[in-house]
Amino acid sequence: MKSAAVPTVFIIDDDRGMRQAIHDLVESVGLRAESFGTGEEFLGTRHTGRPSCLVLDVRLPQMSGLDFQRRLTETGMPIPIIFITAHGDIPMSVRALKSGAVEFLTKPFRDQDLLDAIQQALGRDRIAQEQQAEIHDLHERYHGLTTREQEVLTLVVSGMLNKQIAFKIGASEATVKVHRGHVMQKMKAGSVVDLVRMADKLKLSPCK
Amino acid sequence: MANEEVQKTLAELSRDLQESKARLEEAQRVAHVGHWEWDLETDVVVWSDETYRIFGLRPQERPMDLATVRAMVHPEDRESLYRGVDEDLVAGVRPDAEFRIVRPNGEVRTVHSVTPKRWSSMPGDAKGDASGRLYKLFGTVQDITERKRAEEALKQSQFYLREGQRLAHMGSWASSDLGIRWSDDLGIDWSEEVYKIYGLDPQNGPPSLEQYLAVVHPDDRASMAETIKVMHEQRCGCDVTKRIIRPDGAVRHVRCVGVPVFEDGVFKAFHGTTIDVTEHERLTQELRRERAYLTEAQSLTHTGSWACNLLTREIFHSSDENARLYGFDPSKGAIPFERFYNAILAEDEVALRAKLENAIREGADYDVEFRIRRADGAIRFLRGIGHHNPSQEIGEYVGITMDITERKRAEEEREKLRQLEADLAHTNRVNMMGELAAALAHEIRQPIAASITSANACLRWLARDPPDLERARAAAARIEQDGNRAADVINHLRSFYKKGAPPERGIVDLNDIIREMSALLRKEAVRHAIKIHSELHEDMPNVLADRVQLQQVFMNLMLNAIDAMKDTGGKLTISSRLTPEGQLIVSISDTGIGLPAENAERIFEAFHTTKPQGTGMGLAITRSIVEAHGGRVWATANQEAGATFHFTLAAKAEVDA
Repeated sequence: MKSAAVPTVFIIDDDRGMRQAIHDLVESVGLRAESFGTGEEFLGTRHTGRPSCLVLDVRLPQMSGLDFQRRLTETGMPIPIIFITAHGDIPMSVRALKSGAVEFLTKPFRDQDLLDAIQQALGRDRIAQEQQAEIHDLHERYHGLTTREQEVLTLVVSGMLNKQIAFKIGASEATVKVHRGHVMQKMKAGSVVDLVRMADKLKLSPCK
Repeated sequence: MANEEVQKTLAELSRDLQESKARLEEAQRVAHVGHWEWDLETDVVVWSDETYRIFGLRPQERPMDLATVRAMVHPEDRESLYRGVDEDLVAGVRPDAEFRIVRPNGEVRTVHSVTPKRWSSMPGDAKGDASGRLYKLFGTVQDITERKRAEEALKQSQFYLREGQRLAHMGSWASSDLGIRWSDDLGIDWSEEVYKIYGLDPQNGPPSLEQYLAVVHPDDRASMAETIKVMHEQRCGCDVTKRIIRPDGAVRHVRCVGVPVFEDGVFKAFHGTTIDVTEHERLTQELRRERAYLTEAQSLTHTGSWACNLLTREIFHSSDENARLYGFDPSKGAIPFERFYNAILAEDEVALRAKLENAIREGADYDVEFRIRRADGAIRFLRGIGHHNPSQEIGEYVGITMDITERKRAEEEREKLRQLEADLAHTNRVNMMGELAAALAHEIRQPIAASITSANACLRWLARDPPDLERARAAAARIEQDGNRAADVINHLRSFYKKGAPPERGIVDLNDIIREMSALLRKEAVRHAIKIHSELHEDMPNVLADRVQLQQVFMNLMLNAIDAMKDTGGKLTISSRLTPEGQLIVSISDTGIGLPAENAERIFEAFHTTKPQGTGMGLAITRSIVEAHGGRVWATANQEAGATFHFTLAAKAEVDA
């Protein structure tokens, strides 16, 4: 697991004054801030691996904030979003929250409300990033296995006994035991239960 | 010859003479002829008894003498008579004179006196002696009064007939042969006028059948020949109008009427008249044409004409179109007054009757509109205009009726459209204000939100340990910027009217605008059972103002008043007055819900509203306009109910540009 770097708060608001004010507020609590006038500008920059969140104005010049949220989800760039608006209404906020928004704030908002929402979003992102990192790690371990070991792993997590596995792959029971030992070691699994959980995270489908 | 015989013969002669004399007397009496003898020697005149009678005298009473005769001759004839006789005598001509005498009883008679020419040799004539000297005159006197009268009368009637024929372009004719024998010769006698009508010379005598038919217009010739043939064969009369071509080429219309005359059942002749009816024919055709034009015009304009007595319900004239307007068939004879009247819709009849009765009573003209149910069931709008001529009987009217259904419908459509426009204007106004408010809300919210956030950030920079003054200062600078930005938006709003429509100031009559806006909003008011009432100061000086903006002010204040009363109805009063300082004050008063109990002074602030659908802009804009015109606007609560909004304007305002 990577240690938490300074989290970044991205801000997209077409109103320059508002954009600067939020940027400054974010920095005043020791967070990094990056602000953009349009969604396109935001998409043009590379995301770093550190935890981040997006403060997004609902009304943007080219595309509404809600449409932008959907587009982010579709392009596989999940990021917690806090919506801000100068004229929000209830249906709009419900739609935003249903689509995974962290918070929906109406301008002018209390600074603490925004900061709390940012913290919540960053926490959510941190967890998401940790999960992402773990899966990344497991993938690496999994790809460190030989083809036979991967095959044995799949059969083990499907609940087969060594004898059954041996019969299935046409090898001796002793050979299966050796493979199985390597799998447990390489995958850093303490028990079969551990291994099952890892396979689940790797979304490996058990063989029939 | 024996004396006795002579005696006897003499006696016989004497008797014969007496008898002859008696017969002569008798003959003279019967023929009204008298005679006289004038002995020039003795100047004695002897008169026969009949001569006495002719002069209205009795022979036994007193003997007539020359002076008596002279005195009895009509004074007008006296001189010419005696001069004529003298001249005749001198010239040796037999005096022959007609003259009038005045009988003693005053009766005037005309007599004819003849003195035979050869008076010297013949007995009974004037006699002369051997020397040829004239010594006796003899003559006759005949009373020709009756004959004269008959002659005069005939002459007179002939004159009248001729004159009458000439004036009437009417001639007369008689044909004894036609109908008895058929020949080329019509056997006809024409009066002078007939020749004139046909343009023929009377000297040539009446035409033959061939000549006659040659004059007739070729198109009518065959039928005319047939008519004459039938008359001949059946001895029946005729009444034909044909065209003729006169020798000079003129075409005339001639009407010929003939009747057979029978005596004791035996056919005698045809008598008839010939009339030049060209003028009549021309007028008839013209009339027919005019009538056709009129009918066409009436049909085109859906206008019927009529004349009737509304009291006696008697129709003197009703044009075809008049009947058609009511859906009646004019070809089916006259339509009684009741059928017209009963077509009027019951709900219109009462008012119409009142108007007509009033017009009849006053002897006045009328102009009414009413609806009828036509014979085919359709409802039509009619307009009736009646004119009463004072010289006519009471209740007698001449007039027209027009179908104005299309016009009425168009008017209704226009009214609907106008209403729609008014509604739209109202809706637009509300929508526009709503949009404006929303836009302004967003515009103002942004800088305020930004400045609040910046202030928060600023505080956080200051709260750091140590405080980051640099960042705090930057944040404070942004607060200022955003604050100004918000202020700009507000300024923009205040100048909204100036920017949106550059003021075009001109001389404006406030009362005029009030009347105009009252008319415009009357429908809206009526819909909510609100009466618009105005109390205008008559001598309002004009103001220098932007007419459209002032209209907006009235629109806002009057719509507010209507809104305040729309659930209850009420009265909207607009008054204008002039203060001694020369300020114009307009007050718009309602009887509605009145001003809000608290914050009454805030109603003129932008976005302040007490109405669910209100924008809170109406009164703010009103104030902005009034103040731009150098005036003031305020509201007061009415003592009874509702509120009154007042605003002032300077007369011929010295306003800021």
